[in-house]
Amino acid sequence: MTPDPIAVLALDKVSRVLAGRLVVSDLDLTLARGEVLGLLGVNGAGKSTTLRMIAGVLAPSTGTVRIDGANLCEQPELARRRIGYLPEIPPLHPELNVAEYLDFCARLHGLAGTAALAATVQAIERCDLGEVRRRLIGSLSKGFRQRVGLAQAILHDPELIVLDEPASGLDPVQALRLREIVRGLGADHAVVVSTHVLPDVLACCDRVAILHEGELRHQGALAALAGGALRVRVAMRVDASDWLRLPIVLGAEPIDTNASDAHRWRLRLREGVAIATLAAAIVERGFGLEELRAENSALEEIFMKIAAGETPAVAA
Amino acid sequence: MSAAALIARHDWRRLAVQPFAWALAAVVVALMAWQYLLALETFLQLAPKLGGLKDAPGVTDLVVIPLLRSFSNLLILLVPLITMRTIAGERRTQSLSLLLAAGVGNTRIAVGKYFGALGFVLLILVLVLTMPLALEFGTSLDLGRLAAAALGLALFAGALTAIGVLCSAWTSQPALAAASAFAITSLLAMIDAGARVQGVDNAGINYLALPTHVEPFFRGIVASVDIVYFLLIIVVALAFTARRLDRLRGTPD
Repeated sequence: MTPDPIAVLALDKVSRVLAGRLVVSDLDLTLARGEVLGLLGVNGAGKSTTLRMIAGVLAPSTGTVRIDGANLCEQPELARRRIGYLPEIPPLHPELNVAEYLDFCARLHGLAGTAALAATVQAIERCDLGEVRRRLIGSLSKGFRQRVGLAQAILHDPELIVLDEPASGLDPVQALRLREIVRGLGADHAVVVSTHVLPDVLACCDRVAILHEGELRHQGALAALAGGALRVRVAMRVDASDWLRLPIVLGAEPIDTNASDAHRWRLRLREGVAIATLAAAIVERGFGLEELRAENSALEEIFMKIAAGETPAVAA
Repeated sequence: MSAAALIARHDWRRLAVQPFAWALAAVVVALMAWQYLLALETFLQLAPKLGGLKDAPGVTDLVVIPLLRSFSNLLILLVPLITMRTIAGERRTQSLSLLLAAGVGNTRIAVGKYFGALGFVLLILVLVLTMPLALEFGTSLDLGRLAAAALGLALFAGALTAIGVLCSAWTSQPALAAASAFAITSLLAMIDAGARVQGVDNAGINYLALPTHVEPFFRGIVASVDIVYFLLIIVVALAFTARRLDRLRGTPD
């Protein structure tokens, strides 16, 4: 495979053997600036090993990891400024306070003097750590520790940010805030996020790659998967003809096969119609809108098929 | 600041905020102070009798050098306790990835970890040295011999620290790292004991033993062969530590 000239990250036939077992096999991936890639897979699929190779913590057994076209194994110092890595367990020093720890991380990534100080202040602001900046890391809650881990990954403004299960163990409010931060980072960085939580991928990723038993089984844009379908729940009992009377709706089918409770529907809109227009139409008709979100059954379906081993590896 | 110096300073800071390190330092200084006072008391009792002897041993021979020799024995136990967490602790808490992912070379990590731990060991050495130095206010010390002994102890501590860091890189269990460092340094301290009993004191096995190279410093002899021995241990142990870190990039934590 020829590396994409504009790709920040390019994995070319990367494999890794650990303890005699092939954990990642012939993996090809590319990622450009401004993209958020969700790396999905069940436990043991090879996600963390892949991310460790991308971050330069683990060397591939075969194949190359390229950052801006340069081989990471041959130029490991590339990682110092260009990669930010948050492992599954944040690499924290509990005996230090947040500001001290982040200052060390900034200097470790090659920043010095006022640049290190400015980067630390900015990361603290970006990850909402102001109130705990002088607290010992060991005394922080899981959510704050995760945010400190994220702050150390982004403070040197790397081109590539690698996040391994960043929302693991967070409560729903913290997870939502983390998604917002990741989505924001995706605007001007290349971001790889590993998770096995599908809503996390749907909420903050542009593309998805699904690994199973170390092989890439699917990759593609999330927009293509969603297919424009929406999931709606209304308080009023309605039928398909009620929906089709709305000129913006192209198709409607009930989600519950048991027709006694026809409140949840899968709708397909005409091209170019915004979700807000549908919401306004439902409110106008008095259906009693209770829930409206993008359909994710396609991704779920693909993921479940792959997890069941029904999908072959993607050809390189 | 170079990455190695940054890691050394950071590790020193981390040690300095841990009660464990200070408690350890306090115990060592208290033990040495107790020995120092006992030796001083004994010397004061013997002093009138020594006055009549030709070439009688002085306070340096009877108080200072025995104290520092005793400290060198204590270092064999103390240093592994300080070095045990340098790398094994990071592997245990899975924070080593911070250094590995920062593009810092393995040699720099090994050197940084080494000097971070050595800084603390040398601080304890300085605290212990202040005790015999205080005698200079009341008597005349052999400062040249004291300086040679201090240099020997610093090199000895440097070699033990390098072995400790190497053992810490070899396992993710700090206690196991301390035990293995203690075992290796004890072996190096006693490796020629059998040969000495047999009257052999100039063979290859004697060269390997730590006491062979630290004792001349206590006698005031600074020989390049002894300096090279300690430097060799430090360089070899750090090279193996860097090699071990290299291998860690290929195995899960």
